[in-house]
Amino acid sequence: MIDRFISLIAGLSCLLATTLEASAHPHVWVTMSTDLVYAPDGSVTGVRHAWTFDDMFSAFATQGLEQKTKDQFTREELAPLAKVNVDSLQEYAYFTYAKVNGKRQKDAFSDPIDYYLNYDPKETVLTLHFTLPFKVPVKAKTLDVEVYDPEFFIDFGFAEKDAARLVNAPAQCAISVAKPRDEFFSAAVRLDKSFMASEANAGMGASFANRISVSCP
Amino acid sequence: MTRGAKARLFLGIVVLAVLAASALSQEAVAQSGPLAALRQPAPAGFFGWLLSKQALFYRELSGLIRAAKTDGTALWALMGISFIYGIFHSAGPGHGKAVISSYLLANEETWRRGLTLSFASALLQALTAVALVTVAAVLLGATAKMMGDTVHVIETVSYALIVLLGARLLWVKGRAFSRTLQTAKALSATGHADCIHDHHAHDHHTHDHHTHDHCHADDHSHHDHAHEDEVDVLPWGHAHGPEPEELAGPCGWRRGVSAIVAVGLRPCSGAIIVLVFALAQGLFWAGIASTFVMGIGTAITVAAIATLAVGAKSVAKRFAATRAGYGTLMLRGVEVGAAVAVLAFGVLLLTGTMASERMGMF
Repeated sequence: MIDRFISLIAGLSCLLATTLEASAHPHVWVTMSTDLVYAPDGSVTGVRHAWTFDDMFSAFATQGLEQKTKDQFTREELAPLAKVNVDSLQEYAYFTYAKVNGKRQKDAFSDPIDYYLNYDPKETVLTLHFTLPFKVPVKAKTLDVEVYDPEFFIDFGFAEKDAARLVNAPAQCAISVAKPRDEFFSAAVRLDKSFMASEANAGMGASFANRISVSCP
Repeated sequence: MTRGAKARLFLGIVVLAVLAASALSQEAVAQSGPLAALRQPAPAGFFGWLLSKQALFYRELSGLIRAAKTDGTALWALMGISFIYGIFHSAGPGHGKAVISSYLLANEETWRRGLTLSFASALLQALTAVALVTVAAVLLGATAKMMGDTVHVIETVSYALIVLLGARLLWVKGRAFSRTLQTAKALSATGHADCIHDHHAHDHHTHDHHTHDHCHADDHSHHDHAHEDEVDVLPWGHAHGPEPEELAGPCGWRRGVSAIVAVGLRPCSGAIIVLVFALAQGLFWAGIASTFVMGIGTAITVAAIATLAVGAKSVAKRFAATRAGYGTLMLRGVEVGAAVAVLAFGVLLLTGTMASERMGMF
């Protein structure tokens, strides 16, 4: 009898643990293209992001904003929102993490510069552009930049095209992009193609880091 | 109880504590700002599958709302997807699964009450989402940031209520536990042998002080010698069957409402985004319908988990009934543990250690 009681306790604990474990819960999807910007001396000065939000979040984010033309938002009209976005992102370390020669850098970036929002009236989506300057420009054999939301409220995925680019990089540098979400996706479930119009639509791979790796031997 | 049984019980409690702690710390670490980068939980298996499903359904909603503008049949698909999304979605954090099941474990509840709590809290959640977007976006033309700030205020109130609920439960259950402990001590001092070896004789009347302390913290009349016939005299009814009047009784409702409000006050971020999107598409009412259908789906998942909790509790209760003093003591112990869990959820949520939901980046 006591065994039953113990298995009951164990069962309940598992129940509790699993309800907590299932923490991922995205409401926002981001399709991103990222540039690594180089200085003439061959060091990386910053990470230039372009994050396109999904249509529902874009509608939510633009709610109540003033607009001169219906269904259009100019860069100026969106400027206050862009400021709110980058300010809020600070709390989450811009979801961008750098590894230099395999070593994770804490607090690698200073405040974002050159930030603005674009609205695509055809797709009805917002794209947030911003550049994260490295506090100290990085000159290293390998640099990894990872983008993800550890809490997975935002689901980041690379764009199909131009997911990551090198800008003014020395010729010997090579870039590669790892999309663990794809592997997870193909391994976990096969779904109708129509669900996957874009990378972000896949909505898979809780908390997998999207990794950009550069090696300059 | 033999020494071996005690040892196993102890082991069981340790397992419980470790599991709960690891689950909580995993949550906590995942939320702790930049350091969170150092570890990434990677849900796989069943939960990974579940999450991927709910993500896909959510992404389908926008297409269906657009389609519904011109195609009436898309509305049916929208309702279907909303329903399924609600079922899958509530497997994530929020929606009060953990709080409601702990609450049910801590209390003497019927499955019917569990269902009522689940459905009422899920529907309240849908209602707050619709009310918020109607007032803020439709009437006031508020921006997303204003709505996000409002949700933040609402959720702080909601988490504070969970803390209060947990504190109250702990007070009630802690006192019941210590009373039972004293009774057990008294028993082992006087009629120990009887109690251990002759529990059949005691099943029905002598020591069954475990069945009627729901609702009342400050009720001293029944703690160690309540009889079946005495129960009916009590004004707040009893817990031997899912009596409708129990749900309707003043005490039953008052008690349940605190849990419903604490859990249901915070609107689901997903519902708010869907509502604002529907508004932008000129189909606000479709968004409202979708939100309520989602709420029903959510309620089903929460109710399923709540039913498990109630079932587990009744197994524990049956077990306790066969083991006179110690069984009741253990039952009280489980209740105290569940009360601590509610309090812990509230504190973790309130302090931001455990994030329930976040509305994008606002």
